Amino acid sequence: MAAAPSALTPSRRLRRRKRTEKILAVLASLSALLAVSVLVLVVWAVLRRGAAAFSWDFFTKSQAVFGQSGGGIAPAIVGTIVLIFWATLMAVPLGVLVAIYVSEFSSPRSARLIRMTLDILNGVPAIVIGIFVFGLLVVGHGQSGFYGSIALAIMMIPLISRSTTEVLALVPRSLREASLGLGVARWRTVVSIVLPAAIGGIITGTILAIARIAGETAPLLFTSSIAANSVNWDAGQPLNSLPLTIYTYSESPSPSDHAQAWAAALLLMMFVLILSVTARSLFAWRQRRTGATGG
Amino acid sequence: MFTRHVNRWKLGALGVLAISAVVAGVLASAASPAPNRTAATKLTGAGSTFVFPLVSQWIPAVGSALGIDLTYAGVGSGAGIAQITARTVDFGASDAPMTSDQFSACKGCVQIPWALAATSIPYNLPGLTKQVKLTGPVLAGIYLGQITTWDAPAIKALNPGLALPSTKITPVYRSDNSGTSYNFTDYLSTVSPAWKSKIGVGVNASWPTGVGGKGSSGVSGVIKGTVGAIGYVDIAYALSNKLQVAAIKNKAGIYAQPGLRGIAAAGATVKTVPSNNELHIVDPPASSPKAYPICTFTYIILPTSSSKAPDLRKFVFWALTKGQTYGPKLLFSPIPKVVLAASEKTLKQVQG
Amino acid sequence: MTTLAAAFVVALVVMIVYEVVRQAWPAIQTFGISFVWTDVWNPIKGEFGAWQFIVGTVVSSFFAILLATPISIAIALFLTELAPKWLRGPVATLVELLAAIPSVVLGLWGILVLGPVLASDVEPWLNKWFGWLQVFSGQPSPVGMLNAILILTIMIVPIVSAITRELFLRVPKELKEGALGLGTTRWEAIRGVVIPYCGPGIVAAVILGIGRAVGEAIAVAQVSGNGTTIQRSFFAPTNTLAAKIANSYQGAATKLEGDSLLYLALILLILALFVNGAAQVVIRRAEKRGVL
Repeated sequence: MAAAPSALTPSRRLRRRKRTEKILAVLASLSALLAVSVLVLVVWAVLRRGAAAFSWDFFTKSQAVFGQSGGGIAPAIVGTIVLIFWATLMAVPLGVLVAIYVSEFSSPRSARLIRMTLDILNGVPAIVIGIFVFGLLVVGHGQSGFYGSIALAIMMIPLISRSTTEVLALVPRSLREASLGLGVARWRTVVSIVLPAAIGGIITGTILAIARIAGETAPLLFTSSIAANSVNWDAGQPLNSLPLTIYTYSESPSPSDHAQAWAAALLLMMFVLILSVTARSLFAWRQRRTGATGG
Repeated sequence: MFTRHVNRWKLGALGVLAISAVVAGVLASAASPAPNRTAATKLTGAGSTFVFPLVSQWIPAVGSALGIDLTYAGVGSGAGIAQITARTVDFGASDAPMTSDQFSACKGCVQIPWALAATSIPYNLPGLTKQVKLTGPVLAGIYLGQITTWDAPAIKALNPGLALPSTKITPVYRSDNSGTSYNFTDYLSTVSPAWKSKIGVGVNASWPTGVGGKGSSGVSGVIKGTVGAIGYVDIAYALSNKLQVAAIKNKAGIYAQPGLRGIAAAGATVKTVPSNNELHIVDPPASSPKAYPICTFTYIILPTSSSKAPDLRKFVFWALTKGQTYGPKLLFSPIPKVVLAASEKTLKQVQG
Repeated sequence: MTTLAAAFVVALVVMIVYEVVRQAWPAIQTFGISFVWTDVWNPIKGEFGAWQFIVGTVVSSFFAILLATPISIAIALFLTELAPKWLRGPVATLVELLAAIPSVVLGLWGILVLGPVLASDVEPWLNKWFGWLQVFSGQPSPVGMLNAILILTIMIVPIVSAITRELFLRVPKELKEGALGLGTTRWEAIRGVVIPYCGPGIVAAVILGIGRAVGEAIAVAQVSGNGTTIQRSFFAPTNTLAAKIANSYQGAATKLEGDSLLYLALILLILALFVNGAAQVVIRRAEKRGVL
């Protein structure tokens, strides 16, 4: 406190300053409370309405015929799994390779260029990526789960690259230098020494990227939206997906569609939540194990 | 990134458990007996949401009767035409007849009328005891933004004895390119010179006022959620969502209903079918007193040359004949004989 | 091999920009640059212009960031300065979870939960007390600009607050303690030292938030009401570049309409890249000055 030791009562100005402080502290706390309340409101709505629609049918059946209620979203669940699978398969090698290039092999100028490019790619709106893949691949050939996965992978690459470069930077220089000093070739050093040390971070980054794109609708709108109403594991065909199902059902007037939309939303959020928490725990575990800081 | 003091093992186990549960459920569904798809041909179509209720009834029937695995997405008539033009689907569906530009872009497509129904005018005014009566010019006035409240004199005059509230009218339109919009604007252009000159006919318009909904579903959703809303939507949607629909005055001076009789009467006014199969039956002449004035045929659009031609012909022939019997409970009236003959003739042009 | 991957990524970005420009080119040729400020979208007459969508995008994003920035800074302050230590972790996680909600789920909530509340309670109240302001006049509606602004705000807050929180955590202790030692209250220390120190970072966070709002197609398409004209009231339906593309691209009835939609996509891309670039510039400058 700043009151001079000899003063017995705070001056008026000090009182005013302290009052301002209190008011602002209250405001700040209220804002945080507001944010948390909105989150709780949304999550609670999804939880309550979604869980009510959970049923065995919901997980195993396909969409009901028009006008009838019931049915389920099994095709969408399967579709999302398949789409994510292929997207991850495409994005991880590419993202990791780019990150390795930036952190191990490139000149500072190229590194800056690539970083800038990745930032640009990250800033392209999802809908534009959807149009891009549509115009390039879908026109003339038809939709397919692969094209949807490609659109999703394009969105994942910057995220995976960024987290991989961060984690590669954490690998101590001494490790690399020791290996090179022993005469091991550069690329071998990377593959056998640097990568394994970074693998935890790469996994974490991948999980977070998956969490990010699992709920993306726009990239799939034009690439994988006209799909059969049945469970389909074949990515060569257009596939249903949870986000698109939620989107379509959200605009429907039928209460049973709404119920299924909430349930699908709950499923999606649970999935994203589990992924985020897993990634965070992995990160914390790694930090504790290696004693690394930063990031 | 920041650290969390969490028991990671417990969380990891929880996560694994949850994910396994979902995967198990999904695998169970995959393992469950699939519908007859062993040697089935797949046919994919997209387009009109207007005809979606009927097609979705057809899908299981076509699967068992013809062994065809049918997929249909209601993405709007405009999208249906675009998709078949780009050959990203096997057939398109549209309530709006194709323009000559669209025909040339489609490079050898035919349109075949395969269903007939009404565009109803649902509204959301809870507590009204009787059905609202409207005329074409009043509808045009509403959508032009000239008539803004339900108790406007123009509406009151048509509904004596009905306690209309002073609620503002929210006209709802299709935000996507829609054949239903085409049908509705076609009707409005026919009955209202002001509409015709200001806006015109099309799958989408520069709507002067109101709220947009995507697909017939979206429009029904907005109407249901907004008191005072009025919109235009295939009668099947109004029916299944229990929306009240307005009675519309036809040329004979009768306030007609969008029911099977009104639709059949409108359809019966077709005497000949032009070579491109384009049919307009809005505001039929007074010689059809029961006709509902906002009806439309809806078309399937097929490429004349397709590797799936035999299956397409099988499917469409089934739809034109047996398929029509699925219609009445959704208020699709069977297509008149003269149209059926023209459709079958055009179908022959679809070859491999 | 890694060089190939890096080259591929660069090529990808170039391809995206090139494709969008190429597909929009016919519309650019037909309408020229005046497309940008033309306020018409008439598929029947073949007249198209981007203005109403640009206005919708700018207004919705502007007000969303206006609401989101003070809330986010306040949250960051709460989490770094004001909250008791045991509360910080959980609340921070909760705010992060808000970021994890997919936009389509927020849109779902916006249509089915927020919309009815806006129409029946919030908008009439705003109309009653602030109806003299044009933006709060008009017919309450469950979908429209206000709903879009609120949903966008909810989307932006986690992003901006997470970044701001990190920035606050990085302020050197000595700076804060120095100020406090000079006799400032905590707020004055924050206002006089912490915020200026983090200034560029906060600006960058805000710009990134704007970028997120500008590019959001799905949730806005769900709650905006798909308006066709520029309205003065926040209760009325509106439309943005991204939402219009999401709604109409697949079903363009004429080639001109399809091309015009791609012209919209090009404008959206330029806008997003510009915002993104601005954030990068601010960050680089701050890094150079050593404050980031």
